Amino acid sequence: MFKNFFESLGRKVLEGFEFVGGLANLVAQAFYWMFVPPFKKGRIFEQAKKAGIDSLLIVSALALFIGIIMALQTAYQMQRLGSEMYIASIVALSIVRELGPVITALVVAGRVGAAIAAEIGSMQVTEQIDALQVFAANPVKYLVVPRLLVLSLMLPLLTLYADILGILGGYLICVYKLGISGTMYMQITFDSLLYKDLFTGLLKTVFFGMLIAIVSCYEGFNVKGGAEGVGRATTRAVVGSFILIITADCFFTALFYFVFP
Amino acid sequence: MASSQSKLELKLGVFVFIGIVILSIFILSIERYKKWNFNYRVHFTFNFVNGVKLGAPVRLAGVDVGDVKEINLKFSPEENKNKVDLVCRVRWDAKIPDDSSIWINTLGLLGEKYVEIMPGKNYAKVMCENQALAGQDPIPIHEVMVLAKSIVSNLDESIIRLKNEEGTVGKLLFNDKVYNELDALISDIRRNPWKLLWKTKEKKS
Repeated sequence: MFKNFFESLGRKVLEGFEFVGGLANLVAQAFYWMFVPPFKKGRIFEQAKKAGIDSLLIVSALALFIGIIMALQTAYQMQRLGSEMYIASIVALSIVRELGPVITALVVAGRVGAAIAAEIGSMQVTEQIDALQVFAANPVKYLVVPRLLVLSLMLPLLTLYADILGILGGYLICVYKLGISGTMYMQITFDSLLYKDLFTGLLKTVFFGMLIAIVSCYEGFNVKGGAEGVGRATTRAVVGSFILIITADCFFTALFYFVFP
Repeated sequence: MASSQSKLELKLGVFVFIGIVILSIFILSIERYKKWNFNYRVHFTFNFVNGVKLGAPVRLAGVDVGDVKEINLKFSPEENKNKVDLVCRVRWDAKIPDDSSIWINTLGLLGEKYVEIMPGKNYAKVMCENQALAGQDPIPIHEVMVLAKSIVSNLDESIIRLKNEEGTVGKLLFNDKVYNELDALISDIRRNPWKLLWKTKEKKS
């Protein structure tokens, strides 16, 4: 019984290493092929529409609601202390530094990451990827590079939308519910923000985008079996992206806290 | 095909453009309230800073003009004690005369500490880059407590003596002998005012 336990534990550890190694390999290949011509902009625009514009509505709506929630939850405590003035800075800082980037990354991981894994996975089971290789088109160049580029560029853009809408959510509550003047709210918001807050938030999302693209493509390429395998790969892509995004976020937050205070 | 491609590019262009507009709104708005590109550093030395934090505001005549960038605790061999050196970044157009008084004040209800500068009168000599100025130490709350305690214990002693009718004040308060005598004297004088001019025989002799 113990033998079984240790065997399965060891297998899990080995699988973990295999996963990390596979990701690293894919990253290296993608960065190599990124700089090898020919460059086709058409595929990049297509992916940019899928990842960027199509996610915009859901990201915006979520960010607006998060802003409203943050304002209301802080108001609950701040009204007791009589310091509603601080709500603006709390909302602004938490949205711009943390919630905007993470909410955007999670939404995109759920929407786009799953789509990528399913698309590449079904290409894998129908042997289209082998066909690409037969045509001397490198599948990494053809499939991974556009997605990697697009996600790492679109995520900061979407995060900007999320930031502004989150602040708008807080504004709505504070101005129309708590009676703080609008100009004062904006003044406190931008007073509490530093360039550092904005740019650390945006820098994080570049890496989140790369993580989503790489994990989803990796899971797509490693589909085994038929339709069931595609389903499993999609789930694994989303769960893996979520875990890696939060882990990376923890890492970046610690980095910005301790190294660049 | 070509039209659908250009439509896609148009949509993406609008999307990216709005994103860049938002980015510039952020950058310009943050900039608007932080026009401290040109600033200088000054040192304020204290013996005690009562828990000032990094980034605490510096106020000149009640206006935010900068913030605390570094807090260094140094041992000063000349004075043989620890000195706190606050390095503050101050807006370039904020002139701090050398005879200004500087102390640590408490802000709002959250008890945040900040550096208060009350400008002096001598604008001929103003602080420049990396110049140091000594600040007035805030009184630690502990010392205030000790002082209050000694005051209260002294008062307490006096009150106990008063209550026990000790000392002249105690007698004045609790013994009506003085009152009765004064009362008798005044009524006597009122009845016979000439007594004020009366010279007693004993005095004469």
